[in-house]
Amino acid sequence: MRSESARMTTAAELRFRVQAPNSIGRATMVIALDAASEPFVGRLAQDTEQWHRATFLKAAGDETSLTGFDGRQRRLRDEVNAADQVIMVASAGGQADAAAAIGRASSDRRVTTTALIVGAADASDAEISKTLAQLRPWSLMVVIANSDDYVTDMMTALRV
Amino acid sequence: MLRKEQNDLLTQTGPGTPAGRLFRSYWIPALLAEELPENDCPPVRVKLLSERLIAFRDSTGRYGLMDEFCAHRGVSLWFGRNEDCGLRCPYHGWKYDATGQCIEVPSEPEASGFAGKIKLKSYPLIARGGVLWTYMGDPAAAPPEPEWEFITVAPAQTYTSKRVQESNWLQAMEGGIDSSHVSFLHRGDLNSDPLFKGAKGNQYNLSDSRPVFEVVESPGGLYIGARRNAEDGKYYWRITQWVMPSFTMIAPRGNHSVHGHFWIPIDDENCWAWSFDYHPIRELTPAELAAMRDGKGIHVRTEPGGYRPIANKDNDYLIDRAAQKAGRTFSGVEGIGMQDASLQESMGPLVDRTRENLVSTDNGIIMARHRLLKAVKALVDKGVVPPGVASEHQKVRSAVIVLPPDQPFKEGAKEAMIARPSVAPASV
Repeated sequence: MRSESARMTTAAELRFRVQAPNSIGRATMVIALDAASEPFVGRLAQDTEQWHRATFLKAAGDETSLTGFDGRQRRLRDEVNAADQVIMVASAGGQADAAAAIGRASSDRRVTTTALIVGAADASDAEISKTLAQLRPWSLMVVIANSDDYVTDMMTALRV
Repeated sequence: MLRKEQNDLLTQTGPGTPAGRLFRSYWIPALLAEELPENDCPPVRVKLLSERLIAFRDSTGRYGLMDEFCAHRGVSLWFGRNEDCGLRCPYHGWKYDATGQCIEVPSEPEASGFAGKIKLKSYPLIARGGVLWTYMGDPAAAPPEPEWEFITVAPAQTYTSKRVQESNWLQAMEGGIDSSHVSFLHRGDLNSDPLFKGAKGNQYNLSDSRPVFEVVESPGGLYIGARRNAEDGKYYWRITQWVMPSFTMIAPRGNHSVHGHFWIPIDDENCWAWSFDYHPIRELTPAELAAMRDGKGIHVRTEPGGYRPIANKDNDYLIDRAAQKAGRTFSGVEGIGMQDASLQESMGPLVDRTRENLVSTDNGIIMARHRLLKAVKALVDKGVVPPGVASEHQKVRSAVIVLPPDQPFKEGAKEAMIARPSVAPASV
């Protein structure tokens, strides 16, 4: 329109992009679904400075609770209610059946779920299939990563 | 979100930069063969990876790609006379062959050997599938010649176009693997574009605008699967291929041709968007070719005599607000290619990724950046050849397939994702 004071973007125009913050932090719950993924998620949990908006938990073996890395039990519903997004981590071939209860609770609250299968480089197709079958119904996005360091890149990208 | 130093690392591709070194590990498309249509035709200025070059075809048909500027006093050889197996600078008559070797300096006695001491930096330029390819890396580490299926099928089965995109290569490439935008930005075109309409798969797309995604690492890059519900509890999968660093292949529709892109840096604020369509087992029809030349499908109409789109940022992409309001187009811009380009250019020539707010469905983009960063580091630190160089990484296809709900698409579509001569593409 002729009344507009800015036209399509150029390199020179780009410096006028408003620099005010355009988002507030999202509360993220990162859950280790199986024993093999616990050490990995546990290491992430130790970096409280980098991931200060994240809560790190592990599956507790029942459908209503989760366990913190401090050993305390947490109510699944309470944790999901406090989260904006849920990241479920499972090892390829691992037992990821806890995804169902977490996914159901997240779905009820319309909380986005992402599932990550780590260690895929060394896993067979059958092992990946087994874990996938448990995650698929409950995940908006599934990522099968060959290396564990993808998780930190993903969390950075998602501003966890 | 990507940290500034990571963004700089991936978006800067000039000589001596880490990502520049990555791109210089591959054969990349430089020109359409039609740009140098005959022996001794006019030379063409080419900027690739922030290097100013001149391309020409000599009297014997040999292609040359070399430093644009004469070694004498820096005149552009675009003014050169292409004659008798060489390109002659019109200023003082210095002449170069297709390798950049100076073969004549008229002001110096021939016996002095002076010409032999002058050589412009040059790169190999080879014709394959109607495209001229170059390799700008270490000659001693030259990879095998390109093997992409679209350049190995018969000429009548394939069509390639290119256009200038006024943005950095990475934001253009990321559009190519961002499957979640299709249900919005391109929804008006699925049932009207002659190169898309009529496929059964379109109905799955249009009836489910919230697909579920799976990202899986492949030997050359990524498989990005978008899953929608099909009949009998099965899943309809559309699988996009990304091969490093910048080849993307979109899942086909019905019996239409298969298509995809290369995104090649011109400099850090512009890139070439290469678009190809081919069919592995049949010739393209006259109607299909006419539609492609008319800017349908993923192709765009360009200005006469050049490769800048007719709809461009200087005319606000000919935006049609009435078409937008009526739902004929979602953004008001006509054509799938320009719908993508207009939005990607609107981010600015080089988008500030520190201000992004990515979401779960952006994992394809996040993983691509992750793999690019790792490949650059491995190449620079240890000289590791990056994924996508090997011929077998290039013999891939996108695919569309209906699978049982518990089957990984990587397994169910394993054969369909490999390019095999005379085998029909997997499509719905």
